[in-house]
Amino acid sequence: MRSRLLTRRSFLRGGAAAVSAALVAACQPAAPAVEKVVTEVAPAEPTPRPVTERITVEWMNWWGGHREVLMNNIIAVFEEEFPHIHVENQVQPWDAREQRAATAIASATPPGLLMVTRTEAQKFAHEGLIIPIDDYIASRGHDVYDIFLKSEIDAMKFVDKFWSYPLPGNFLDSTFFLYNKNLMRESGLDPDTPPVTWQDVDVAMQAMTTFEGGMLETLGLTGFLGRFPMWNYCNNGQYYSDDARQLLFNQPEGVETLEWIASLLEMAGGIEVHNAFLEGLDAQKADYPFYTDTLGMFAPNVSIFGHFQTHAPEMYADTNRWGVVLVPYNGNNPNAKPTGISGLIFTWHQVVGAVLPADVRDAAYEWLEFFTMREEGGGYFLLEQGRPSPVRRFNENPRYYETNPYWEQMLTIMEYDIGVPTTPVQLEVADALSRQLEQVWFGRKEPKEALDDAYDEAQPIVDAFWGES
Amino acid sequence: MAAQSSASVATLESRATQARLSRWRFRNRRWVGWLFIFPWVIGFLIFDVSALVLNFYLSLTSFTVGARAPQWVGLANYERVFVQDKLAGVSFMNTVYYVGLSVPLGMAVAFTLALLLNAEIRGRGVFRTIYYLPSLVPVAAASIIWLFIFRTRNGLLNLFLGLFGINPVPWLARPEWAKPALVLMSLWFFGQQMVIYLAGLQGIPTELYEAADIDGADALQKLLRITIPLMTPMLFFNLVMGIIGSFQVFTAAFLMTGGGPMNATLFYMLHLYNNAFRYFLMGYSSALAVVLFVVILALTLFVNKTSGRWVYYGGT
Repeated sequence: MRSRLLTRRSFLRGGAAAVSAALVAACQPAAPAVEKVVTEVAPAEPTPRPVTERITVEWMNWWGGHREVLMNNIIAVFEEEFPHIHVENQVQPWDAREQRAATAIASATPPGLLMVTRTEAQKFAHEGLIIPIDDYIASRGHDVYDIFLKSEIDAMKFVDKFWSYPLPGNFLDSTFFLYNKNLMRESGLDPDTPPVTWQDVDVAMQAMTTFEGGMLETLGLTGFLGRFPMWNYCNNGQYYSDDARQLLFNQPEGVETLEWIASLLEMAGGIEVHNAFLEGLDAQKADYPFYTDTLGMFAPNVSIFGHFQTHAPEMYADTNRWGVVLVPYNGNNPNAKPTGISGLIFTWHQVVGAVLPADVRDAAYEWLEFFTMREEGGGYFLLEQGRPSPVRRFNENPRYYETNPYWEQMLTIMEYDIGVPTTPVQLEVADALSRQLEQVWFGRKEPKEALDDAYDEAQPIVDAFWGES
Repeated sequence: MAAQSSASVATLESRATQARLSRWRFRNRRWVGWLFIFPWVIGFLIFDVSALVLNFYLSLTSFTVGARAPQWVGLANYERVFVQDKLAGVSFMNTVYYVGLSVPLGMAVAFTLALLLNAEIRGRGVFRTIYYLPSLVPVAAASIIWLFIFRTRNGLLNLFLGLFGINPVPWLARPEWAKPALVLMSLWFFGQQMVIYLAGLQGIPTELYEAADIDGADALQKLLRITIPLMTPMLFFNLVMGIIGSFQVFTAAFLMTGGGPMNATLFYMLHLYNNAFRYFLMGYSSALAVVLFVVILALTLFVNKTSGRWVYYGGT
């Protein structure tokens, strides 16, 4: 009797067939994110229980920690009002965020709603991966400029279309400074008259900056190095032309701005001494120099009030120790005024994938609207974090006034924010500019030369983008 | 009759063939080997070979993230790597500097410690474990630790140097010091190499050392004439793996310096990452990746080619 042995060839053939079958199966598009649930009916009812379709919106975001709890609370309220929609809160780790976002939106089954930066949203919009929400806005009859702060909603706009509603909003990132009244007193300055112009800043910087053993002991001001675009606007300069086709940061206003920043850096002992003073420290730690009266002024993130309250509660409660001031402007330029920029890059968008089934897109928009425009949504989310809202009326909540001693002032400051038009190549432009600014910080180039070089490198990138569009 | 006879002959031949084949199969069951590596081969074909081929194709296109089909651009991306993109050159030279320092230093440190830990001392096992532990720490976590070590003010390293009256060094803030700092940090991961050296050292026959003792050889002579020659296969292996790994240095620079200051730590992989996932220039990034692949392959082949002159496998 002939025994039939498995040959190498037949084995490989069988294996290849099995793997091919598995691959084909794996490449099949997944079923739409529709979850069937059974609706509860009264037990006495003899008729069969109706089956309804419940749509699942996968919401991919990067908000872990205490914010996850807040989001889940909002989702619970939302699902009560919209029982046919289930929001799956998919909080992602920050690690490799860019890859996750890009691969998720480019896949055949993107999440219902994806949280991305402004530059990413513009890029994805440009590539046709996400949908604008203008039709939804029109059908609901929303006047978005009435609802949101202008700077915030403007940042959601690209090629005359809206791609998201703002939340949490990156406005105020550069429009105000916190100043330390104790250090001002100790330095012989009047704590009730904080710097208003660049010239005032020079005086304050000189007075509050001290050295010991070649290192900074106290520093008058920080936050001037990474904010050249904002300072430029405070000198009546511009980053882009209004149509975002022409870079303007190397105009005379920009050069003057950079010269002023370089002079501040010199007062701080140079780049290495300045950076060594702040190395490893940030306002989310109790040993941040501002909380220990060794830093005079700093431009915080919009989330500062929550962090401040957490890490230095005694100081936060004592308004005799700190104050809020509008960003200083160039007092020598008659056209200059305080101006803040709503995030050039990191204004978060919640975007809807273009390849999603229509019902999932509708559901995703429903959730987006609830989460951003409803008081029990975005209003609650930001209030609990002590952050101002991009929605004007939410900021009138009395709890803001109770928890923030400078709330009245903050409402005024918010109006100084502007939205700056950008393009999907903004990161390349910003990186080119940053590289040249570093040359100035390290004394390798003069401000004008550096800005001209940045322009020469970045303008062709902008031109190439508009050329191919 | 004749037909019957020829049929029976054919049957006999067929049986003989079958028998030979069975014996061959019995003796040469090579398919068993294939069976065991089959999952790996499939994974290799799908996740490595196909990715490599696709990467090469994409390097000839202007592909970006999106639904649009890749546009063929020929060698334009390669022209950009070699001619237009100054940062590609800067990042490549930074990487060569890093490889040139970190690989030999890492090998020397690991080899020296392996020699020490191979000596007959009390608590040797404990020491081996302690020295191996750092290599178990993920690079991301190690980067955080080293950020504290490298701090200019009150950093552990500067506090130590201060004991000798040396002024604080801005390790990560000054372009001239940032790369050496990351090289220094790379030595933290010597444990993997050390274990390989230790295994090799334990395989050296003691008779050789006994014979050398009889001949009156001192410790240095024994090291140079016996230990190092017999350890060359391990040195070769660690050299190749070190070159491959160091050319792909990324995490520490990504987390600790972001490529700065002044692009001093902008390594090739970081530049590639920026182009791929910050600017979404996938086609161009693919070209950068192909160039890196070719460089690593060429270096590996070169080292392999020279190995015949200095690697001793015993008896050959």
